[in-house]
Amino acid sequence: MRPKSIIDEARQIRVASDLIHLGARLQVLESETSLSRERLLKLYKEIRGESPPKGMLPFSTDWFMTWQPNIHASLFMNIYENLSKTTELDEIDAVIRACQLYLEQVKNLGHEPVLSVTRAWRLVKFFNANMLTLTPCKKCGGHFVVHTNELTDDYVCGLCHMPSRAGKTRAASAAGCGPDEEEDFPTVH
Amino acid sequence: MNIEQLKEEIRDTNLSYLMLAQQMIRQDRAQALFRLGISEEVATIIEKLTSAQLLKMAAANMLMCRFRFDDEMVWNLLASHSKDRAVGAGIHASILMAGNMNTYQEAA
Repeated sequence: MRPKSIIDEARQIRVASDLIHLGARLQVLESETSLSRERLLKLYKEIRGESPPKGMLPFSTDWFMTWQPNIHASLFMNIYENLSKTTELDEIDAVIRACQLYLEQVKNLGHEPVLSVTRAWRLVKFFNANMLTLTPCKKCGGHFVVHTNELTDDYVCGLCHMPSRAGKTRAASAAGCGPDEEEDFPTVH
Repeated sequence: MNIEQLKEEIRDTNLSYLMLAQQMIRQDRAQALFRLGISEEVATIIEKLTSAQLLKMAAANMLMCRFRFDDEMVWNLLASHSKDRAVGAGIHASILMAGNMNTYQEAA
């Protein structure tokens, strides 16, 4: 389907180029704009200077439940909920802005971003489809991503109760920012 | 610091705060609301203030900005210098701060 007005087309091109700048996959662009595939491809090549990666999108909700992705997804979702509650934004505009704020915060903290814009977009779709939801942690009161219908009466988040190997990735110890191997797992007060 | 100095400091802080807020709102409204933690209505008012109004408001003897997070947990996490910081104290604080605003706005 072709966009009807030129103004609308301009808006869609802006959305598409924002998404490409953030590193979105072509499938995201195709689903969020009504621009033709050829135009999107051209736009992608113009911005990134290369062809978009091929293959299927990640589709599992379980990825968001593992320790580090869960924390990053929760941060993104808190920002996203905040934006969509306070302002009248289109869903995709809220995703773009929340993603920018998320990346900014993670870089400020000196972490590597874990959540890509494609994953973030999928996450919002999972929330819309009621497959995932936010639940408050009983200890810190922060809101975290969980499966819908999971028993969350005494949910404690991954940051209040850290798994023993948390954050001890090879990359972290190589960079010297991970906790020492000899020490016990850290506690957050 | 005597009272005159104090009033001057407050005025300067108010003025830079209000001007920054106005600029942020004009640049990207949605992100500004998130960063400032204010409601859409307040943002509309600030956006429309003239320079004369800004100056007048800044000259009050009260600060126009205040501490947003009255959660002890957030302060502890932000202030922590220990090794937890590398793993997740910072991001933990970010989650609480982004979520805190949700509940605050619901209550308001």
